[in-house]
Amino acid sequence: MMGSVSKWLAGGARRSVAAAALAAALAGGCASGDTGAAEVWDPIETPNRFIFSFNRAIDVMAIRPITVLYRDWVPEPAQKSVRNVLDNLGEPVTAINEVFQGDPSRAATTMARFLVNSTIGVAGLFDVATSLGLTRTKEDAGKTIGMWAGKGVEPENGGFYLMLPLAGPSNARDATGLMIDYAIDPFQILPIAFNWDWFYYSAPRYGLTVIDYRSRTMFALDDLEKNSVDYYAALRSAYTQNRAELIRAKREKTDTKGELERRDNLALVK
Amino acid sequence: MVPLLASRRVVLGLAGGAAAALAALPAAAADPAAQLVERTSAEVIQIIKSTTPGPARQAAMQKILQSNFDLAYMGQTALGANWNKADQQQHVRFLKAVESAEARAYSERFGQYGGQTVTLGKVSSRPNGVFIVDSRLNQSSGQPIKLEWEVRDVGRGLRITDVKVEGVSMVMTRRSDFNSYIKNNGGTVEPLIKELESRAGR
Repeated sequence: MMGSVSKWLAGGARRSVAAAALAAALAGGCASGDTGAAEVWDPIETPNRFIFSFNRAIDVMAIRPITVLYRDWVPEPAQKSVRNVLDNLGEPVTAINEVFQGDPSRAATTMARFLVNSTIGVAGLFDVATSLGLTRTKEDAGKTIGMWAGKGVEPENGGFYLMLPLAGPSNARDATGLMIDYAIDPFQILPIAFNWDWFYYSAPRYGLTVIDYRSRTMFALDDLEKNSVDYYAALRSAYTQNRAELIRAKREKTDTKGELERRDNLALVK
Repeated sequence: MVPLLASRRVVLGLAGGAAAALAALPAAAADPAAQLVERTSAEVIQIIKSTTPGPARQAAMQKILQSNFDLAYMGQTALGANWNKADQQQHVRFLKAVESAEARAYSERFGQYGGQTVTLGKVSSRPNGVFIVDSRLNQSSGQPIKLEWEVRDVGRGLRITDVKVEGVSMVMTRRSDFNSYIKNNGGTVEPLIKELESRAGR
């Protein structure tokens, strides 16, 4: 499983790695490649842009207006509780990823959070665990893959860029991660195994996840859209940089100098 | 070259040790790059406190951008390889348009003052003369936001040349944005400048 994933990823990564190697060879060893300043690899830009306009149409017509109503009319404690419940349902996935990231003690903390919040916190409505000193982390399989992708692969390089219908910006790495997370999520497996009513469980979870996620990203996305001349390109860059930052933070436990050296090597003005 | 760097590193190390020993002193205050960031964020917060979004705030923001940021360097970086394709006059027009666009963005970005504060973190000095100043923007509710400032001296004194919000570099995002716009509009800088100018006029 992991082998085939890494092989697939390496296929996506090959071009940039080769380019970096070539650049390093040309520079004659005085500096490594101009990695960070490179554009995001987007070989299927035309279909991506098509899906992007489709997503924006749905967003403008339905998701954004509903989110604005939710943000402005639902009392803040209720919004907070919704977020807590959704976060709590996501804890098992985070814990599993933390095990695969080689941090079982952090995974144990996450599971402790899950147990405390599911019981004392009334099914996750209240985040009691944080006040007990168990801080929250959020991990996904995209980060796990990025963490183990190897030294040659910059975290900026997640394979080809991919605009997912309804789910938004992604890339080969993170979309793979999304599928893995879906497959290992107990709260996706249980409803199928025990035949829970879709209408009363899955549908509200999906709906609230979309609204909650949209309300979190509202400020940043509005800002990006208003201040860019090509929103698609600006979002592509911002998404890639933000994901890279999260993955780099995971890697940096072992490799602190990476990011600073990369920045030194940015050939900003060619 | 190498001994010089090494000695500077030792000096910085000693300074860091001293700052750590005097825990009461703000560790950052000794460093000029950190001072610049501290002053800039204090000025921005002051403006947000004392004005509402509008022309007055935009003018004040523009003044801060002019005196604390290296806008010419940032603009040149954002254009990347396209900078050399443009002529002198286009450079001037481009930088002017970008400056007012940024000023407007910053004046609209923060509505009313919501109790934000900026806490400075560690300063990393790089051999190529760039300082990276880590900081956190604390909000009254929710998680603090990670801000990183890039400070360098390109012949105009120590200036801020980039701000990274949660890992997203302002200059890099603009660069992708502009590059893509130029690529999709005939490969020249002129349409981009026209677009930016018309936005500034709006």
